[in-house]
Amino acid sequence: MLREVKPSVKNEIINVALPKGRLGDNVYEMFSKAGYRCPELENPGRKLVFENPEVGIRFFWVKPSDVAIYVEKGAADIGVAGKDILLEYRPDVYELLDIGLGKCRMAVAAPKSFRDDLRRTLRVATKFPNVAKAHYSSFGRDIEIIKLNGSIELAPILGLSDVIVDIVETGATLRQNNLEVCETLFEISARLIANKSSYRFKGDEIKRIRDSLGAVKGAEND
Amino acid sequence: MKTLSQDGLTGSLCALYERSGYRRYKMSKFEEYDLYARNKDFLVSENVLTFTDLDGRLMALKPDVTLSIIKNSREASGIEKVYYHENVYRASGGTLGFREIAQAGLECIGDVDEYCVCEVLSLAAKSLLEISSNSELDVSHLGLLCELLDCAKLSEPAKVSAIELMGGKNIGELEKLLKSEGVGEDMRRRIIGVAQLDCEAKEASEKLKELLGGIVSGESLALFCDTCDFLHGEFPETVKVDFSTVGDLNYYSGIFFKGYVRGVASGILSGGQYNGLMRKLKKSSRAIGFALYLDLLEPLFEAGGGFDSDILLLYKNASPAEIYGAAKRLSEGGASVCVMKERPKNMKFREVYRVASGGEAVREE
Repeated sequence: MLREVKPSVKNEIINVALPKGRLGDNVYEMFSKAGYRCPELENPGRKLVFENPEVGIRFFWVKPSDVAIYVEKGAADIGVAGKDILLEYRPDVYELLDIGLGKCRMAVAAPKSFRDDLRRTLRVATKFPNVAKAHYSSFGRDIEIIKLNGSIELAPILGLSDVIVDIVETGATLRQNNLEVCETLFEISARLIANKSSYRFKGDEIKRIRDSLGAVKGAEND
Repeated sequence: MKTLSQDGLTGSLCALYERSGYRRYKMSKFEEYDLYARNKDFLVSENVLTFTDLDGRLMALKPDVTLSIIKNSREASGIEKVYYHENVYRASGGTLGFREIAQAGLECIGDVDEYCVCEVLSLAAKSLLEISSNSELDVSHLGLLCELLDCAKLSEPAKVSAIELMGGKNIGELEKLLKSEGVGEDMRRRIIGVAQLDCEAKEASEKLKELLGGIVSGESLALFCDTCDFLHGEFPETVKVDFSTVGDLNYYSGIFFKGYVRGVASGILSGGQYNGLMRKLKKSSRAIGFALYLDLLEPLFEAGGGFDSDILLLYKNASPAEIYGAAKRLSEGGASVCVMKERPKNMKFREVYRVASGGEAVREE
């Protein structure tokens, strides 16, 4: 299903930050179905920025964790970022639509033999220190946060931490490493976000994109 | 977009506020730290630069102006109208350190009535228009919003979450939250309708009467609708009503507003009726005001052509009188003229002239 998008009446170009990787590919496909195809992006070569003036759109790929920064600072008018990133960094942006891609969950996981000893400070390894801190402080548990940048599952196996707070998709990695989910903190999916100032001055175009993506999501769910 | 300079803008803002009878409030750079320690939530950043004064008191370089003005305001009858243009000192997320930030704004404290509210909103809109004709002032009413959420019988944490979701225009999750809290269909429709309100002031007034009529206090609603009608009459292009404009409910209790200009990624003006803060500071009077964050306007100041001077005047063997005469003639039309012996590196000029023999300025290619 390909929708036809008429060029913006004001000739406004909307800058879109897409997350690099599989999620970004799926997000672009959704934009394409919504009528915002960009042939340049389908044969990228060495270009970094891809534009289709006919439908008033300009895409660029950025690291998934940087999408929110590009949007908050106005380098991108809109972008697609995971709910995990939005809750960790709390950027000052609008969250316009749950586009339903990249579904997973944020969870506390630990070795199967783990029992929480409340007399000790709990050591938590995570890429998401703010999320972990907010979770444990909500019930007053004393924790030590060990901020890691990858291979989080290794931390409890080697005794670096007691538990981890991390994204769980299927749980296969956890099972293979004798870990299990103790608690799900929240569900995650990709969200369409918008810069607050861009929403004021390019609002009609941004709302049109939101509604078109919403229609594609609705059609795919039917 | 106008060509802007910070000094020029500051001058026009001060003149604007003085024309409306606001007096300049000049203050010391220091304040007792205790004032900020007790009101950390009101500050943009919790980090405050402190030092111990010679008498042993813990002092702070001012991170905020409003708190000092309130603290020093008199509890007399009538209204105190003041404006300020001051530097404040606070940690900035982007620079990972403290910064000196220029801020302008005004406060109206005392027996604040509906006229004062309209006057402050007008001055906020006019301040934005001084910066750019491509600007927007978004107005909401936190009192009405709270009344509506109270009528929906939301628990206190759910109320806080609902306001946060409204602030992020996250309608999908707001709807989920209301359902999970057992809010009925009619009330959900009203809350979602208010959350989605993002239109011209006149249209908003009509919609609010339909969505909130019979639910919230009729007097508050009528007063806000009157304010919307007034704003639409005066600033039809600039003022919008947008209920995603939310602030801290501990401090702000009525009208709340934020201003944006095209070309700046975040809000540059923020203000509202802060009767909650007045109560917290044990003041019985009411208050409304706003702050304009001049540091955020830097991208606009730079956008003024990108030239260091209009004209570069080069000289070699001319006499001082000849050079001075040539520079004087070139600057007669108001152009800025930079006189140098050699063309400087890393500087840009619109035009380059050279002083020829006899003192005549000859344009170079």
